[in-house]
Amino acid sequence: MAILLLTYSVLSHFMGGPRDVYGFLRYALPQWHRGDLKVGDRAPDARLVSLDGRSTFRIHDRLASRPLVLVFGSYT
Amino acid sequence: MDHLAELYRDYSDRADFLAVYIREAHPLDEWQMKSNVDQGVCYPQPQSLAQRVAIANDFTSRFQFPLPMGVDEMNDAANRAYAGWPERIYIIDEAGKIAYRGGLGPFNYRPEEARGWLQSRFGPARPASALNFR
Repeated sequence: MAILLLTYSVLSHFMGGPRDVYGFLRYALPQWHRGDLKVGDRAPDARLVSLDGRSTFRIHDRLASRPLVLVFGSYT
Repeated sequence: MDHLAELYRDYSDRADFLAVYIREAHPLDEWQMKSNVDQGVCYPQPQSLAQRVAIANDFTSRFQFPLPMGVDEMNDAANRAYAGWPERIYIIDEAGKIAYRGGLGPFNYRPEEARGWLQSRFGPARPASALNFR
């Protein structure tokens, strides 16, 4: 118990506060996956929605005679 | 993000780019970051595709983000296929194979590595002066 408490307070010191440790454990950790794609693997496909909110396209539609730089991210 | 815009500026004549907007990393109803509060970037985690699309549009217009963008559907299919959360870069070659697999953000997210790949493939960025001076 003491070790848990100590770990938690060390983590909150480095992460900014106790809320950040909770946020990390509750929301970030479950989403954070290394994934198992490797260089040389076939690139997976998925359907995406355009910024107009209606039309869709697939990642593979953008594969052509040039390399494709694919960037994942969000606003926050 | 500036790095991405620069990469796009320097190499979009030789490579294609696609940004995929995925589930929020730090929405206000989850693990919110002070830096986002300071910049007024406060959104709850989108519960509908329309909300996701709206935030993606806010982002592109606020930063004049130049990359073509697609929004991951609510089943997070693209994110799950690529383990993209919270941010990550891949380069896919002409044969449809993964040529560069970037590390997981935020700690191992390194746009300069993607630049290195493009540089070794295509050479350094062409000088902007050739394009801008007339």
